[in-house]
Amino acid sequence: MNYATPISELEHPAPPPAAAKAETASFRSISKQYRLDAVTVDALNDVTCALPLGETTFVVGPSGSGKTTFLNILGLIDRPSAGRLVLLGEDVTDLTDSEAADFRSRHIGFIFQSFNLIPVLSLRENVELPLLRHMRSSRARRQRASHYLDAVGLADMMERRPGETSGGQRQRAAIARALVTEPDIVIADEPTANLDTGTSSEIVALLDRMKSTFNTSVVICTHNIDLIQPESALIQITDGRLVNGGPN
Amino acid sequence: MVWTIAFRNLIKNGRRSIMTMLAIAIGGFAALLFGGFVTSIWFGVQTSMIQDQGNLQVYRKGFLQFGAADPEAYTIVDWRRAAETIGAIETIRDDIVVITPKLDLGGIAGNVAASSNKTFFGTGVVAADIDRMRQWDGWRIDQPGLASGLSDNRGNGVVVGVGMARMLGICGPLEIAECTDPPRLTRGTVTGEADTVAPLVEGDGDLSALRSGGPADSLPRLNLLAATTTGLPNIARVVVETAQSQAQRAVDNAFVMMHFDQAGELLYGDSRQATALLIQIRSPDRAEFVKAEISKTLAAAGLDLEVYHFTEVDPTFSRIFGMFSFLFAVVSIVLAIVIVFTIVNTVSMSVIERVREIGTIRALGFRKGFVTRLFLAESALIGLFGAVLALIGAIAAATLINAMGVQWTPPSNAAPLTVQLMVLQNPALTLAVVAALAAVAVVAALVPTRRAARLNIVESLHHA
Repeated sequence: MNYATPISELEHPAPPPAAAKAETASFRSISKQYRLDAVTVDALNDVTCALPLGETTFVVGPSGSGKTTFLNILGLIDRPSAGRLVLLGEDVTDLTDSEAADFRSRHIGFIFQSFNLIPVLSLRENVELPLLRHMRSSRARRQRASHYLDAVGLADMMERRPGETSGGQRQRAAIARALVTEPDIVIADEPTANLDTGTSSEIVALLDRMKSTFNTSVVICTHNIDLIQPESALIQITDGRLVNGGPN
Repeated sequence: MVWTIAFRNLIKNGRRSIMTMLAIAIGGFAALLFGGFVTSIWFGVQTSMIQDQGNLQVYRKGFLQFGAADPEAYTIVDWRRAAETIGAIETIRDDIVVITPKLDLGGIAGNVAASSNKTFFGTGVVAADIDRMRQWDGWRIDQPGLASGLSDNRGNGVVVGVGMARMLGICGPLEIAECTDPPRLTRGTVTGEADTVAPLVEGDGDLSALRSGGPADSLPRLNLLAATTTGLPNIARVVVETAQSQAQRAVDNAFVMMHFDQAGELLYGDSRQATALLIQIRSPDRAEFVKAEISKTLAAAGLDLEVYHFTEVDPTFSRIFGMFSFLFAVVSIVLAIVIVFTIVNTVSMSVIERVREIGTIRALGFRKGFVTRLFLAESALIGLFGAVLALIGAIAAATLINAMGVQWTPPSNAAPLTVQLMVLQNPALTLAVVAALAAVAVVAALVPTRRAARLNIVESLHHA
């Protein structure tokens, strides 16, 4: 287990472009408050950290610590209440809804705990789906989706619907879907929570392999510390605060 | 992909989709059948009126405004010249089927045998022309009109309204259904003789002829009294060939149709003058062109005449059609409201069930518009399939009803028309109904779809 100390230099905003390029993401004093009835909940509190480029970063912490909020803000599906977020050298804090969608489409892939495949589409069609925003030719989309499904070991079950496959197979398809647009960042929120131990290790290994193959930064949120690879970066969050974080 | 997802979701939620489609189909079915009925009114009533009055009518200038007060001052002085002028127009020669004069007159009709008399409103027509006009079928709906009832070989023959026949006590000899003579005619006779002409003949030397000779002699006779243009009374003795119901009771009670020459002699002593020229043309679509050509030619010839479309002379058609169009609009709006609520419910259910899917799609980088398109496509498909079902059902029902030969009498007609629900014969209306169903389905889905698109992504992803 290797918990890195906080990166002090990131506490100061506006790093030089060269430094920004070396980072996938830079959280700068990010806070997030939710209103739960009459109570304000601090999901993230003044989090400042950086995620390394082209590496796997594990985000860990107990339930309710703010891991998912961290990933949601990183994935531009939630907005911070305060602070700045820089992704791939671009300040994305104030993007509009449509601009954020475009950014996600170009740069971010998601893997969900419950796979979240579209049930009425085959595995191949599910993988094709994100390509709708990138490729006009259906033939090209189909070829590319097939290639990625082949890469995750699902070449022989592309035409099956998610309901006809196992949890591990669905998560493999979800990984293919996350990677098919060749994003710079893949965000995986508890990707192994619904899988058995053997399949979980297999999925993490696959993600690591895909990271190397497609040169992608992978951010995995998990509460299963056995999955964490020694050479990976680690972000530890407790009660919305960054306990440890940064490249190993 | 959008349509694939939409279609497969319809299949996935088969029962709900079918129920919604059925709701749309039933609404569309009703709209199409009612639309088919309104279409049949459009064609049927117009055909009846064109068979009676022609597509166009030529009057002396000012007749429609002031002619009723002083018909003499507004008659066409030399109708033959006007008819020849119109008939000679090269550009419309092939369009014209009939040009015929008519002469309106009024007076008193008396039945000496029954000691009864009654004011009448008469029309003098050329029987052969009228019979030809009544075969007109410009829209090919196979709805021939009744023959005029006037014989070519009996110059003093007339046709009266059934009400007129009843009041003058000539129903019995005419053997008209649902026409009985006034009770006073049977007074003093034995039961069962009321329908015979025997009581009419008693005490009337002229009517003794009714019992002798061939069939023509068995017909009742009337005296028509009218004032000539010089103000002198003139009487014509006419033979009633038959009685025909007229659309309005007031007209039916006073209607007399006679040969044009007879009417001319009664009024003028000749047949040069006419109240109007009736012009029937082959294709109703050419009416405006023909009207313009005739107007131009009449003006160039220095004739003091005006041409009107029959709907300008008699607003009955416009009113009937307007009433049914209004009813159609009201019914369509009610149906649309029902469809809207059904669609809103269906799409809302679909949105609730697919909240996580919506969140996923948004997280994958799709804008709100994509989510909107996804659900609108689903709704459009439901609308389209429902519309197709409605169309198939309406065609089948229309075919069945048309084959049954159901009849109805529109307000403008004396004779009933056979109901012909024209679903496919009016492709514009049919397409409009089908398109409206799909459009209503899409519009109805806008609110729940917009709600779906605006869902918070994080909350959607964590939706159970």
